[in-house]
Amino acid sequence: MNEMEYARPKSLKEMDRIVGAAKRPVKFIAGGTNVIPDIRAGALSSKLLVDLSGLKELNFVKEEKNEIAIGALTTISNIAASRVIREKAPLLFYAAGQLGSPLTRNRATIGGNLAYASPAADTAPPLLALEAVVHTRRRLGRERKIPIDQFFLGPNKTRLAKDEIITKITFSKPKDPSKGSYLKLGLRNAMTISVLSIAVLLETNGNVCRKARIALGAVAPTPMRAYRIEKKFAGRAIDRKNIEESSLLIAEEISPISDIRASAEYRKRVTSVLFQRAIQEASRGGKP
Amino acid sequence: MSEKLRDENKSHSDDHVVGKPFPRCDAKDKAFGNTKYADDYFLPGMLYGKVLRSEYAAAEILSIDPKKAEKLSGVRAVMTAKDIPHNETITRFGQTHTVGGFEGLYRILADKKVRFMGEGVALVAADTQAIADEAVKLIQVNYKPLAGVFDPIEALKPEAYKVGEETSNLVCYYKVRQGNIKEGFASSDVIVENTYRVPAQDHAYIEPEAGLAWIDDDGVVTIQVCTQVIEHFREIAEVLGLPYNKVRVKGTWIGGGFGGKEDITVETYLALLTWKTKKPVKLVYSREESIICHGKRHPYVMKYKTGATRDGKLMALEAKLLSDAGAYVYLSPWVLLYSTVGAAGPYKIPHIKIDARTVLTNNTFSSAFRGFGVPQVCFAYESQMDELAGRLNLSPLELRRRNYLKKGDATATGYVLEHYAAFPETAEKALAALGEKSKSKNPAVKIGQGIGSSMTSYGRMVFLHDTSRSYVGMEMDGGVTVRCGVQDLGGGQASSLTQIAAEVLGVSMDDVRVYVADTALTPIAGTTTATRQLYMSGNATSMAAQEVRKRLLEKAGEILQSKPEGLELRNRKVRMKEDPERSVSLKNVVKACASAGIPLFHIAQFNAPSRELVDFKKGQGQVFPDFAFGTHAAEVAVDVETGKIGVLKLVACFDVGKAINPQAVEGQLEGGTIQGMGYALLEDVILEKGMTRTPSFSEYLIPTALDVADVRCILLESEDGIGPFGAKGVGEPSLVSAAPALVNAVKDAVGTRIFDLPLTPEKILNAQKKR
Amino acid sequence: MKTYSIHLLLNGNPVRVDVAAQETLLDTLRNKLWATEVKNGCGKGDCGCCAVLLDGKAVNSCLTLAVQADGKDVTTLKGLGNEENPHPLQESFIQNGAIQCGFCTPGMIISAKSLLDENPKPSREQIREAISGNLCRCTGYKKIIEAISDAAPKGQLSD
Repeated sequence: MNEMEYARPKSLKEMDRIVGAAKRPVKFIAGGTNVIPDIRAGALSSKLLVDLSGLKELNFVKEEKNEIAIGALTTISNIAASRVIREKAPLLFYAAGQLGSPLTRNRATIGGNLAYASPAADTAPPLLALEAVVHTRRRLGRERKIPIDQFFLGPNKTRLAKDEIITKITFSKPKDPSKGSYLKLGLRNAMTISVLSIAVLLETNGNVCRKARIALGAVAPTPMRAYRIEKKFAGRAIDRKNIEESSLLIAEEISPISDIRASAEYRKRVTSVLFQRAIQEASRGGKP
Repeated sequence: MSEKLRDENKSHSDDHVVGKPFPRCDAKDKAFGNTKYADDYFLPGMLYGKVLRSEYAAAEILSIDPKKAEKLSGVRAVMTAKDIPHNETITRFGQTHTVGGFEGLYRILADKKVRFMGEGVALVAADTQAIADEAVKLIQVNYKPLAGVFDPIEALKPEAYKVGEETSNLVCYYKVRQGNIKEGFASSDVIVENTYRVPAQDHAYIEPEAGLAWIDDDGVVTIQVCTQVIEHFREIAEVLGLPYNKVRVKGTWIGGGFGGKEDITVETYLALLTWKTKKPVKLVYSREESIICHGKRHPYVMKYKTGATRDGKLMALEAKLLSDAGAYVYLSPWVLLYSTVGAAGPYKIPHIKIDARTVLTNNTFSSAFRGFGVPQVCFAYESQMDELAGRLNLSPLELRRRNYLKKGDATATGYVLEHYAAFPETAEKALAALGEKSKSKNPAVKIGQGIGSSMTSYGRMVFLHDTSRSYVGMEMDGGVTVRCGVQDLGGGQASSLTQIAAEVLGVSMDDVRVYVADTALTPIAGTTTATRQLYMSGNATSMAAQEVRKRLLEKAGEILQSKPEGLELRNRKVRMKEDPERSVSLKNVVKACASAGIPLFHIAQFNAPSRELVDFKKGQGQVFPDFAFGTHAAEVAVDVETGKIGVLKLVACFDVGKAINPQAVEGQLEGGTIQGMGYALLEDVILEKGMTRTPSFSEYLIPTALDVADVRCILLESEDGIGPFGAKGVGEPSLVSAAPALVNAVKDAVGTRIFDLPLTPEKILNAQKKR
Repeated sequence: MKTYSIHLLLNGNPVRVDVAAQETLLDTLRNKLWATEVKNGCGKGDCGCCAVLLDGKAVNSCLTLAVQADGKDVTTLKGLGNEENPHPLQESFIQNGAIQCGFCTPGMIISAKSLLDENPKPSREQIREAISGNLCRCTGYKKIIEAISDAAPKGQLSD
């Protein structure tokens, strides 16, 4: 029978001690919105649940001179209500507001969303577009920084070691945060897993794109950047011709699957469509 | 009989209770969290049940070894088919009146063969739910997988895998013949021919199936369960080999039924486990179990060929219907009959040829769901109407205007409509309520409007000799008690009775206490299905209340020295009509009756007008007592680049006869419309070789608050219904034409028609591509 | 099986209960604390009928471990009001016909309360958003939205 154990450390030091002394495999839990369904489905048994939600120091949104730092335990609803995020990284703000439901957003954390690594993780495309860095910590204070585009390895797989937790996510403040957009396509208008999602962040000089960052979710084994399309835009005008050309190429960048929600064919078609819309919205300066 | 009822009800009501939007009698308890649903009851020493279910859609069971499970500490019973006194019985539709030929095998646990993935194979009762869940994993079942058949068209072929024990998978076949179909098409200038497909739909009630059973102090096996049919107590008794009066079903307030709690769900499992262990047992389905294992709306393939003259007169309809009954018969023959009778829609068509079949497959069994076979054909016939309109250069409304049935016209089965049919009225009003088409600010988004009309029965099929009984009695303090076997699934079935009784007896709804759904203690009122409760139990309650009122007024007449006709009963007082100052309190009249030995209670039985079984060779005769006529209208915004559909406006215009409680009627129309919207746009129980790929609410999507538009309700009151006060039932009619309205609106928006539900964004894009 | 002793405030009353590590708050509330007004519709956060306020925030109790509620304030529908002292939302739901089968009602009112606490004068769109995690199969949502709108403190109602 499934018998699990539980611990809620109040500090990172205490966490180290618990993890070090653990006689069972450790499973970290924060908001629980992914872990608990897995327990219910029988995918996790006989583990020691180490609850990170007691680590209050990992719950913050901080604006520094050049960067923004978000603690891993910050809830999605706090991100979706944060003035700093709304003003300085609106594409993340919009993505947070469309994750799950208002009820799950009050528990789900940004660290948990990344660590669970669903190919459709809602916060991943904006963070990829923001070129975020994932800060982690292993036992005994071993820290490292993983650029987010190296963080995901496959569906529900990341670079995190078994005793490694995310502590915070940082990204440089975009030069012009308004030149960003986030679009999510689902079969329903709420509580919906993405059929596809796209985040775009541009640095422009008039009508010329100096730098484009384009990230996609739910169209590959992991959330991804469309590097080749980004290169096509670098230094070029954001005009209709360019956008159309790129929109045809983006279908080749992705490797979506067919599942009960949509076929791979459909995902390719709408990726082109949403790409065009995302670029247009971003270049216009985001949502009206 | 019903004519008289209506007159009597009219004569003394200025309708001060009926016709008002009073809160329902159950609203308070639900708002304060006091209402107990089936899973909210606990008994000391209660055990927890769990069903072991087949992992295969088609397989032979070679052996079942329960030993490991039995040995697990805390397990109190493990049962398989061999432990059940009568593992097979017949599903009956007629309750007390048996109608031959359409019964289906109801098997409690799979015996030698499994027919669908999720079929019950064994039962466990244990001290805790966790132990029961563990125990089912320890039962060793040796399956030999078989080929199975999953497509109804394949299943009809003579060489197909045989789902059951018969030599054919065909369950039944109905025909309707009217006129001469060849002639009909010969005289048509335009013929439209299409094949329509609809998927399985899940009821998705928020409350999963649940119940608690125990053996009471008198040895009566008692099952407390959320059910639309407490009369299953007879089948449960047969399974256990007990006399009927040794089994009692107590229905709870249901957290949504929609037809999904109409068949036996947990009852027999519970009865067996409590009978075996002699302890109380609780059984609750998980959501996945509910979606995978309980009956669905029938998937259909419908071939429609409709012909009309140049000036828009329908001449001919040839329809071939094939429904997927799934693994067991359940209510498939009845659902098919509804489809067959309703396949032509509310239109005059002189030449009709309908062939309808239902066939077994190894998919989850199909059974009752709000609309009961009519939403499927409505999708087909209303799509055909718009297609024809397009070919004839007529507006959808105009084509319908030229063909709607009227009172006095004969339907496809030769039944002459005896009551007012609210067409084209409901269509005109619904369309008008949509208003001007919204303007799209985005070139990629196209706006469209559409309508869908339907004629949907309320009340059961007339050859079932339907009856309902209700008890109404006065308390000594002037309060009223109603006892009625009605099952309340959330549609206000119980509350309507309090409103009716209050009206007739001159009290307020708060003065009436209703006890429902107990086979031992409340008069049997029949099923909460077929949109029949307001009609049947409403009439029975009204009749019972009338009788009590009659006795009250006779006594009051003695007191006030007046003829009873000169009195009125209102606000807990009996007053002389001509001299309102002369009055006596209701309480005092009650006391006076008690002293005189006049019983102030009455059990009335309302018998629906009945006919004999319709002739199935030609499908001619009366099948239903009456119909609700109505039209849905919808406005949609379609993003032609992604295929996503936004619902902008929804209207439901229905002749409800008489709105006993306008707020409750609106609630039915609003809810039914949205459930129909889900059917049109979102819902699909996806089965692959019998395996459900949409087992939870993450995959099986129903509308959220952000997906819907507010439904605007327009209630027409012809007072020409056969229910109390001239009311009609609208529980099912409110859903039937919603999907076609949306589908027609989408066609109007993007110019392409989708012939299979649901209208996913992908289907929209693919259809656009084809243009 | 190892159990953990947790303390929490349930509708203002301090309670202590022993729970297993993987036991959800929903299970504990219903089966050990007899708070059966908290409903179980799906067990995994897809339907919202198990919603409670946890330290004032509306959450799915099926997606919260009981141990995670240790030391916290849990409010259910019964904690908002009763017949003697009804919450305006409860009154409004009753008067507006927003309750049919009633199974979604407890979670729905919790989400509504959470909304009105943060935004006393929500627009209809904001109301839809706030209850987008609560499924209802009976009403089509219209009367629920009207009930929540009605329960907002009277004054200028934005739209």
